[in-house]
Amino acid sequence: MTPQRVAMIPGVFALRAEYAGIEDPIAELRAAVHEAVSWLLQGTASDQDIAVYCTDQQRALAHELLAPWGCAISTGGDATVVLVIANGTACRTEKAPGFYDSRAEGFDAMLAEALSQPDPVALRDIDLGLGREMLADVEGVRALGADILTTRHRSSVLYDDDPYGVQYWVITWEEAADGH
Amino acid sequence: MTLRLGRHEFADDATLMMAIVNRTPDSFYDKGATWAEDKAFDRVAQVVAEGAEIVDIGGIKAAPGVEIGIEEEIGRVAGFVARVRAAHPGLVISVDTWRAEVGRVVCSEGADVLNDAWGGADPALVDAAAEFGAGLICTHTGGVTPRTRPYRIEYDDVVAAAIADTTAYAERAVAAGVRREGIVIDPAHDFGKNTFHSLEVTRRLGEMTATGWPVLVSLSNKDFVGESLDLPVGERLTGTLAATAVCALAGARIYRVHEVTETRQVVDMVNTIEGRRLPRRAIRGLQ
Repeated sequence: MTPQRVAMIPGVFALRAEYAGIEDPIAELRAAVHEAVSWLLQGTASDQDIAVYCTDQQRALAHELLAPWGCAISTGGDATVVLVIANGTACRTEKAPGFYDSRAEGFDAMLAEALSQPDPVALRDIDLGLGREMLADVEGVRALGADILTTRHRSSVLYDDDPYGVQYWVITWEEAADGH
Repeated sequence: MTLRLGRHEFADDATLMMAIVNRTPDSFYDKGATWAEDKAFDRVAQVVAEGAEIVDIGGIKAAPGVEIGIEEEIGRVAGFVARVRAAHPGLVISVDTWRAEVGRVVCSEGADVLNDAWGGADPALVDAAAEFGAGLICTHTGGVTPRTRPYRIEYDDVVAAAIADTTAYAERAVAAGVRREGIVIDPAHDFGKNTFHSLEVTRRLGEMTATGWPVLVSLSNKDFVGESLDLPVGERLTGTLAATAVCALAGARIYRVHEVTETRQVVDMVNTIEGRRLPRRAIRGLQ
């Protein structure tokens, strides 16, 4: 079964409560993340499975965001609601975590285009090795292409920015009701 | 434990100031102020006059940037070490390098200590220290590659990790022939650590000093101070000194600093409060 609702958020550690400061260095991103998660889970029954695609390192963030909703988290299968945790490169400026890599902007632009259309084939065929070289968290992006999104999904980009030299997107996809 | 750094000895209860002297055009704090060799030499004279027991000479900035090869690093530091050695025979000269080849050259020019800020990235550095009877600073960086920034790093227990890694490095150095009395451990604030990690290391530094190894702390103008107070580089002295006081309370022995005078006063005041040091000259109410 194709998921009806899909959301992608970046796995930013600063989203987690244990890394809170007096001021929020990612306030706009946080608002977009909460908007996406709220949209994803509205009307979801507490016994409905939510599929989460993320690395082991990001499970804590997933649990923290989904816990207030009391939903059961599954690792895939036939869930109709899917959360993907992924982000672009961390090499977009000299101050970025991965310093500057001239390939970063092009890689992220290609990814942005494929995510927004969406283009499942392009997402499935993403160069994971190149992404990892530039510290992109893109395992979930491949899953979006291979297992989750179809051309029937319509995207809504809630956030697209690189405030700290790392490319973040918050995007939701909903399967078109009429199949187009 | 008596510290033996090269040919220099220090008593069990001595705290030492290690003054930073960069031979770089682009380090984060001094931004090339001592890139010209004469400026760097003047800086050494200045910090010696301020009471620094050690100078730490570095040829490559810690932040990412243009690759500096071994030959260029040697070019930046080796001749300068020789010049400082000749002018200041009683001064401990430390060189901030992770490379064994650089270590050998600077020790042959008179360096007393190799300060490995990158946690053993070149495993042969211990051999260089052993060969020349030099001291060694063993840091914890969580295994990151030299000149990289921490990114989404997690530890089950950052202090336990720092202790495990630095003491293992220290024992490896002993096994290689480095004198035990010349080995110092350093949790390396901000290296492979975010602000929360560096704060926890500061808060629990007593666990590190309790290992019995002498502990060095390098706090000066670091980002964990900047993020705690939301202050840019250049405005972090007060925060640095507060962290210094906490580390002094916990028993740190060596302080790697930009500001020698202020740090010496803070460390001495804390140790006097703690009863580890006598007041310099007390007569008020005692006449």
